[in-house]
Amino acid sequence: MIDVNKISNLSKGLLVLAAILFVGTIFLPFWKIDLIAPQYPEGLALLIYANRLAGDVEIINGLNHYIGMATLHTEDFVEFSILRYILGFFVLFILVTAIIGRKKLLYFLFTSFLLFGLLALGDFYRWNYNYGHNLDPTAAIIVPGMSYQPPIFGYKQLLNFGAYSMPSSGGLLFIGTGLIILFVLLYERNVFKRFFKKKTSLAASIIGVSLLTLTACGAPGPRPLKVNEDMCAYCKMTITEPPFAAQLTTVQGRQYLFDDITCMAGYRKDNPDLKYDQFYVSDVCNTAVFINVKEATFLHSEEFRSPMGGNIGGFAYLDSAAVYQAKYNASPISWNDLIK
Amino acid sequence: MKKQLQLGILAIALVTLGLIACKPKNMTSAVTGDAALKAFVAPGQYDEFYNFVSGGFSGQLAVYGLPSGRLFRVIPVFSVDPEKGWGYSEETKPMLNTSHGFVPWDDSHHPEMSQTDGEVDGRWIFLNGNNTPRVARIDLTTFRTAEIIELPNSAGNHSSPFITQNTEYVIAGTRFSVPPDNANGDVPIDSYKKNFKGHLSFISVDKESGEMDIAFQIKCPGVNFDLSHAGKGPSHGWFFFSCYNTEQANTLLEVNASQRDKDFILAVNWKKAEEYIAAGKGRKESVNYAHNIWDEATHSGTSEMRKEVLVLDYEDFDDLCYMIPCPKSPHGCDVDPTGQYIVGSGKLAALIPVFSFAKMQAAIAASDFDGDYLGIDVLKYESVLHGEVKRPGLGPLHTEFDGNGNAYTSMFVSSEVVKWNIESLEVLDRVPTYYSVGHLCIPGGDSRKPFGKYMIAYNKITKDRYLPTGPELCQSAQLYDISGDKMQLILDFPTIGEPHYAQAAPADLISPNSVKIFKIDENMHPYATKGEKESKVVRDGKKIHVYMTAIRSHLAPDNIEGVKVGDEVYFHVTNLEQDWDVPHGFAVIGANNAELLIMPGETQTLKWVPEKSGMFPMYCTDFCSALHQEMSGYVRVSPANSNVPLRSGLGDTAPVSGE
Repeated sequence: MIDVNKISNLSKGLLVLAAILFVGTIFLPFWKIDLIAPQYPEGLALLIYANRLAGDVEIINGLNHYIGMATLHTEDFVEFSILRYILGFFVLFILVTAIIGRKKLLYFLFTSFLLFGLLALGDFYRWNYNYGHNLDPTAAIIVPGMSYQPPIFGYKQLLNFGAYSMPSSGGLLFIGTGLIILFVLLYERNVFKRFFKKKTSLAASIIGVSLLTLTACGAPGPRPLKVNEDMCAYCKMTITEPPFAAQLTTVQGRQYLFDDITCMAGYRKDNPDLKYDQFYVSDVCNTAVFINVKEATFLHSEEFRSPMGGNIGGFAYLDSAAVYQAKYNASPISWNDLIK
Repeated sequence: MKKQLQLGILAIALVTLGLIACKPKNMTSAVTGDAALKAFVAPGQYDEFYNFVSGGFSGQLAVYGLPSGRLFRVIPVFSVDPEKGWGYSEETKPMLNTSHGFVPWDDSHHPEMSQTDGEVDGRWIFLNGNNTPRVARIDLTTFRTAEIIELPNSAGNHSSPFITQNTEYVIAGTRFSVPPDNANGDVPIDSYKKNFKGHLSFISVDKESGEMDIAFQIKCPGVNFDLSHAGKGPSHGWFFFSCYNTEQANTLLEVNASQRDKDFILAVNWKKAEEYIAAGKGRKESVNYAHNIWDEATHSGTSEMRKEVLVLDYEDFDDLCYMIPCPKSPHGCDVDPTGQYIVGSGKLAALIPVFSFAKMQAAIAASDFDGDYLGIDVLKYESVLHGEVKRPGLGPLHTEFDGNGNAYTSMFVSSEVVKWNIESLEVLDRVPTYYSVGHLCIPGGDSRKPFGKYMIAYNKITKDRYLPTGPELCQSAQLYDISGDKMQLILDFPTIGEPHYAQAAPADLISPNSVKIFKIDENMHPYATKGEKESKVVRDGKKIHVYMTAIRSHLAPDNIEGVKVGDEVYFHVTNLEQDWDVPHGFAVIGANNAELLIMPGETQTLKWVPEKSGMFPMYCTDFCSALHQEMSGYVRVSPANSNVPLRSGLGDTAPVSGE
C-alpha cells in the first residue's frame, strides 16, 4: 500500500546524496572574487569560506586603502562564527527528511533552504554594498561618484581592476543541493508527469534555460585559426593560407571562418538576415591574430595571389601596409568598398 | 522516470558550466609580427639613437642603443663602482665628497641633456642625486662624470635637473622642504608650516667648459616640489614646478598630502629673478656645500667647500612666482615643443589638465587671481586652462611629445600609455605597458625638436615578463614604434637599477665627438710616469709612491721590495698605451679597496696599506693582450722594524739578492 504522504525511495536516495554533497559546503570556499588588473598577471583572488576569508586578503587590503575602502578581517563578520553550524544543521535536516520521508517535511525543508539561501545572498550583497560605498573621505584617490561594490555574479570594472565574482566549489554544491531538493519536490508533486502529459517538451525547456546561461556572457571574439583544418564557411575549401583568412562572429556567439576576405564579403551578402557582431581579418604581417576590420587597413594587389583570387590583404599597422603597398604595387581599398 | 533524472542532472551540469564559462581572460601580450624586425640591429651595425637611462637607486646612468635596447655602458656617477675604481681611486674620491663627508651612494632619477636653442646638442647630460641633494654633469665626449655640485637648503633633490633652452641654468627644486641650512634645524617636526622652506636652485652652466655654479636660489613655502620643466620658445624665461603636499603635512603624507582637490604648478619668472639678482636684491646666506670637479689634464677630481649662496625670498617680490591650480598631487609638469602648453599630470586625478602659457600671461596682466597661497598669487584654473583631456586613464604621471602635435602620457595605475592631440585634447590611441609605467622618453621628447620615431616606457613592475630571478626581479623598459598612427610595442629590454626618466638623442650628435684615448703628452697628473724609464719607487716617511707604468704586457716596476707593514703605498699607474680600446687594470692581493681601470694615456692611483708581511702579487685585470696572463708582479712586504732596502725594477733592473 503506497502512503501518499510519504516520498518515494528514489527521492530518499537523492536526498541522502544531497546531504552528502552539502557536507562539502562546510569546508569548501563558498564564493570567489577574482580581481583582474594588468599589473597582476598572476591574478588576485578573495575566497569566502563558511568560516573565514582566504586568498590574497592582505594584498587586497593594501590596494583598497588607496581608495579608502575598509580593510577585510575575518573577525569582523559575525556570520563566520555561526554559518558552519547552520550548514551542519541543514545536513542533518536533509538526512532527517530522507529518513522520515514525509512530504510535508520535504516542503518545509525546501522552503527553509530557499529562505536561508536568499537570506545569505542578501547578507552577502549588504556586505558588498557597505564595503563598496562606505569609503574613507580622506582617501588618496577619490573619483567623484565612484563606488567599488563588487558584483554578486559576474564581472564589473572597478577603476583599474576588473572584479569577477562567482560561487566557488562550496557555493556550487549549495546550489546543486538546492536543485536536487527542488527536483525531488517537483518529482513528488508529479509535476514532470503532468508536463509530459501536456506534451510539453520538458527536455527542451530545461536545455533551453541551460543554454541561455551558457550564452549569457555575450558574443565571444574571434577564435584562433586551425590551419589546414578549418573550412571556409563560404567556398567550403580547407583554409591553408593564414595571411588571407577572415572570420566573422554573430550576436549568438557563432564564429565563421573564411579562406579569403572576399569569401567573407560574399557570405555576408548571401546571408543578409544573420545578426552579425564583428568582422575580422588576419594581419598579413602577423597571422597569429585576427584584427577587427574597423582597425584594419586593406590593400589590393594582383600579386597577393590569395586563395580565391580576392587578392586583398588586411594590415594592423599603417606603416607595414605602406611597405607592402610599395613592394607589391598595391592600392588601398576601404572595408565599405570591399563589401559593396 | 530515469529519463527525468538524467535530464535533471544534465540541467544542473549545464547551468554550472554556464556560470564558469564566463570568466574574462587576463590581458595577454600584444606583440605583433614585424616587431622583431623593427627592433633588430644586425651584429656590427650601429644603433640609431643613444638612450641615457637613470639608474634609480643604483645612483648611476646607463647608456643603451635604440632600437636594439643593447646596454653599452654604465656611467658611475653618484655611487662607487669598484669595477671602474670610481670612488676607490685617490683621484675619484673627491668627486663623491659632500658637506656630510664622503657619500658612496645616491639615488638618481632624471637625466637631462644640454640644449642649444631648445634642441638637444649632445654636449653634456645632467643627472640628479636625490638623497644627498646633488647635480652631476656628465661629459658626453668621455661618457664620464665631470662635475658634481651639492645643493644647500635642499633635501630630496627630485625636481631636478631640468634645463632652460640654452642651458643657461640647470634647475633643481627640493622635494623635501627643510629648515634652511643657516637656521636651526633642531626644531619640532610639527613646526613644518613655520620653519620649513622649499628652495629652488638655479645653477648656471658655463657655455664653454660646462662648469656649474649656483647662481641663486628662490626661497619658497614649504611644500614638496616634484618635477619641473623650463618654458621654451614663447615661454622661455619661465620655469614650471609641480608641487604636492600643499597641505604642508609632516606625517602620513600618503593620506594627509592627498586631501586637496587641487595642488599647484608653480610658475617662476626666472628672467625677473635674474633682474633682481643683478639689482643686488639677493641675500647672501651662509651655507656649506661641496663643489667637485674633474680635471681631464690631471686626471683628478678636486673638491672645494663653498660657503655662500644668494637667495631671493618669494615673500619680498610679487611678480616672481604664481600658482596654477592643478588637480590632485601633480607629478609630471611638461611643456610641449611649441612652448605654448604646460601639461600637469595629477597622479591621483582622473583627467589631464593642459594650461596655456598665453592665457597665463593674460591672466597675470589682468590680475585675474583667485586669492593667494601663502602670499603667492593663485591664478584662476579656468582662466589659464587650455582644456582637459577627459578619461585618459588612471594615474597620469608624465608626458612626452613627438613634435607632430601629439602628447604621450604614462598611466601608472592603469598600466598604459595614452596618445592624445595637444590642440584638440582628443585621445588618439592607447597601448598597455607591462607593468605600471613611470616615465616615458621620446628622443628629444622634452625639447623643441623631438625625434618622434620611438617611445620608451620605463616600468616599475615586471612580474611575469622575464625568467624569474628570486624575489628581486629584473627592471625593464619597453620600446614602442610611434612612427605610425598606432603605437606598436616592439621590444622589452632589461635595465639596471630602477629606471626613472631618460633622455635619448640621435647617435650622430654624440658619437663623432667620442674620445678614443688621452694623449700621454698632455697628462698633467703630478705622479704621471710618461715612460718606463721614469718608473720608480720613492719613500716619503711612511708613504711610498710607486711610479708605475702599464703597457702590453708588463707592469714597470714588477718587483718591489722594502715595503714595510703599516706603510701607505700609493700605486700611481700610468697606462702608456696610445691605441684605441686598450685599457689596463690593476689590482693587488688583499687590498681593502677596488681595482683601477686605466684608460690609454691616463694615470690613476690605488692606495694600499699592507697589514702583514709576506709576498703580495699584483696584476693587470683587463684582458689586454695574448700575454695578459704574464702581466703581473710581486711586492715583498717586510715587518715594520725590518731593514730590507727599498728597491724595485723590471727584468734587468729587478732587485737581485743572489739567493
